[in-house]
This record gives sequence, structure tokens and C-alpha cells, in this order.
Amino acid sequence: MSPRSSRARNVFEPLEMAAVAELWKERFAIPESAFSGYRFFRKARSIWAISDSQPPGLSYEAIGMRIMNCKDRPWKPTTCALQIFGPYAKKNAMHLQADSARLFLEGKTQEVDAATAEQCESGYVVVFYRGDVLGCGLYSHGKLVSQIPKERRLAGREVKICHERR
Amino acid sequence: MDFLDRYRDIVPDWETFRAVQSRPLKSSARINTLKVERAALLERLEKQGLECWPFQWYSLGLKLDVESPGKLLESLLGFIHIQEELSMVPPLVLDPRPGESILDLCASPGSKTTQISAMMENRGLVIANEPSLARVAALRSNCERLGAMNVAITRYDGRSFPRGLFHRVLVDAPCSAEGRERRGPGVIARGSCRRSLDLQALQIGLLKSALRLTRAGGVVVYSTCTYAPEENEMVVQAALDEAADCYSLRLKQVRIPGLQECPGLEEWNGASLSQEMRSAARYYPHINDTGGFFVAKIVKG
Repeated sequence: MSPRSSRARNVFEPLEMAAVAELWKERFAIPESAFSGYRFFRKARSIWAISDSQPPGLSYEAIGMRIMNCKDRPWKPTTCALQIFGPYAKKNAMHLQADSARLFLEGKTQEVDAATAEQCESGYVVVFYRGDVLGCGLYSHGKLVSQIPKERRLAGREVKICHERR
Repeated sequence: MDFLDRYRDIVPDWETFRAVQSRPLKSSARINTLKVERAALLERLEKQGLECWPFQWYSLGLKLDVESPGKLLESLLGFIHIQEELSMVPPLVLDPRPGESILDLCASPGSKTTQISAMMENRGLVIANEPSLARVAALRSNCERLGAMNVAITRYDGRSFPRGLFHRVLVDAPCSAEGRERRGPGVIARGSCRRSLDLQALQIGLLKSALRLTRAGGVVVYSTCTYAPEENEMVVQAALDEAADCYSLRLKQVRIPGLQECPGLEEWNGASLSQEMRSAARYYPHINDTGGFFVAKIVKG
């Protein structure tokens, strides 16, 4: 790798909103309006979003939130970005019941039935539980693989998903 | 007898202060209004049969009776953030407004950064600075979990932060953390005057840097979670003295309704400090049943 490209890895370059919104529209049918009010940057193979403001000329470790990883194909949304933009998804959204949600939060892989996976194509999906976005899952061949980052997973016995009191 | 005994003359109701050190604090959390409304969050907790008690002085602060509150679904979803009660004070004193430009000079793990972001409703810009790469991970993780979208992270030595002119700057300085004894016993056993003096040089450097980076009419809040005057009033005094040639500075009264503070010290160990110093606030653990904190608010003329 040339010295130029290794330097470029640590640079945040501005990115047009339309380019980002188009990808989310294609995969999740999220309207472009969900992304207005943000600025977008690319750093190496990741895409970042920050509230509309002009960051001064400094050396940055992070500019807002890392929302997408484009290292592999297809591109992968981050769990934290889905918690912001995922509620607008009209396809590739999966709604889990309590037991499946618990497994998902533990970082496990599970089989999902056809009804749960209705309107989901193979690839990354927005995973919901009771109307809240839990995060990113990878769905294929009837299986859902949790993409919850390790530090945000629930360990087996510490789960605090409570059923409502009757 | 231990290191705390040197504060016998400055802490009111000494015996109670001593006794409370061994009483652990209840967990507390802040409701993250970037992701959930207060009423909706309280209803969720109630439906699960989880007991919580809102602070009397801050409606977004809660005491929780839960073993590991960080493992609650509400925590993973970023609806609440586990944060010590008094740690919610400095952002309130800083009083950031939506649209402003804010610098949080010693930001990790981001409890105050994200509180500032929530107070700004994600509008404007918060620069969260944290020199340590290891500590940046926690800062980033908290900002992302809580949906703080107006935060950019830098990794400068705060004493030589290169440029910028901010409306408000928070210096929540590295300190000897004596006020955290009720959260993790042993802090006081490790305390020493030497340690406080070593930290003092760093703290003065950070506060001077903050004053330089603040625009005219802007605000700097200096806070620590220690009782040591060497790390509190003496730092503020030194930075004020050194900066006095460059710009006019004055201390503003720190007062949070519903939370009882003691005034900053006007003298310590025979050295006299500015009378203005009593505008700063000392929070002691036995008075509000909290940890310990020091907060000073400086306005740049």
C-alpha cells in the first residue's frame, strides 16, 4: 500500500447525503428525509454521520456515529445506527418474541420461522422487540445471526428482559 | 486516623462524614432524552416491577434498586445511562444550549458528554477530548449507545489542545477521586498529599487551556470528585492568577436547587485564597447522601 493511501485511511472525507440515503432506501426502504439534518463522512471503508454542524479543523478520532461498514459486500449497518434510523424501515425488518430477543441480545444464532421472516430477504435486517430496535441481524436460509457488538451483549444468566407483570 | 483527617476543620458534622464513607451508594441512572421521553421510560420500568426514585433536584436522575442496572434492556437500548448522582451536576452548571459549540476537555467515559449532548437536543457541536486510546473506546461506545449524534472525538493532550473558540468548556479533571469512596472503597487509603500535588500541575494546565479556548462571555466549569483543596480551590486560584494578565475572569455562584452545597474555601493550610472562591460548591457525601464533588464556574469577560 502506498504511503498516500495509508495516510488517507485516517482522514474523514465529506460525503453527499444522497449517496448514503440511496443505500438505506434500497435495503430498508427508509425515506431520504430520515437523513436530513446530518452530515456524512467517509473514513477508509466506514461511513459516519454527525448532526448538521461544521466541525473545526482538528484531527478526529470519531465524527459523530459510525453508521455503516463498507469493507465487505453487502455493506453492513451498525447496531447503533439502526437504533436511530431503523425505526423508519419498511422492509427487511424482523420482529422477535421475548425468548428470541433474549437469544439475539446474547449474540446467539437462531432459527426463525417463516412468519417472523416475512418480508425479509437474505442479508442484514433491523431486529425489533416490542417496537424497539435491538440492533442488526444477519438473516439467511431461515437463520438469524446476531450482530450485536460484543460489549453490548447480555451474558447468559444476567438477562433482564422482563415480561410485563400481569 | 487516615488521610481524610486533614479535612476535619473544613467538613461540617465530621463524625457523620466519617461514618458515611463505609455506606455504599445506591445505583443511579440518567434518563437519556435523546432516545426516550421521561414518562415513557418510567412507565416501562414500572411495568417490569423495577423500583426507582427520581432525584428531588433533577427530574432526569433516578435511584435504582437493581443489582446490575447496566444489564437492563433499557440500558442496552440507550434509554438510560448508569451515572453517579453528582456527576450530573457539572453539565447542569455548564448549562449548554442547543446550537452552541462545546468542548469537554477530559471526556471519557462520556457520561457528562452525553448529558451535554442531550441538553443540546443533538444540535450544535460537542468536541469530546480524551488523550488515552484505551479510554476513547468507552467514550465512543457510550456516545453511540446513547445516540449522541452531535459529538466529535479528539485525542489531544488537553493542556495543548490546538485551536477552537468555544461557547462553553467543561474540565472534569483527572483527580484523586476521594469522593468516590462509597462506590469503590480503597480510594482514600491510596490518597496522599504528594499525589494531590502531582495532579495539581496537570489540573492547572488543563484549566488554563480551557480558559484560552473559551470565547469572550463564555463559561468554563471546573469539577473534580475529590475533597483535596490542592486539586480544587488552589487549582482555580492558580489558573485565575496566571490568566489574569490576558483576560478578565470571575467566579459565578454554583447552586443547584434541591441539592445542598458548602462554599468553596477561602483559605487552606495557612494560605489565603480569593474571597470569590466561596462561589464554588463543595458537595459532601453525608449532606445529600451522595458521593463527593467540587464544582467551580468561571465566566470569561
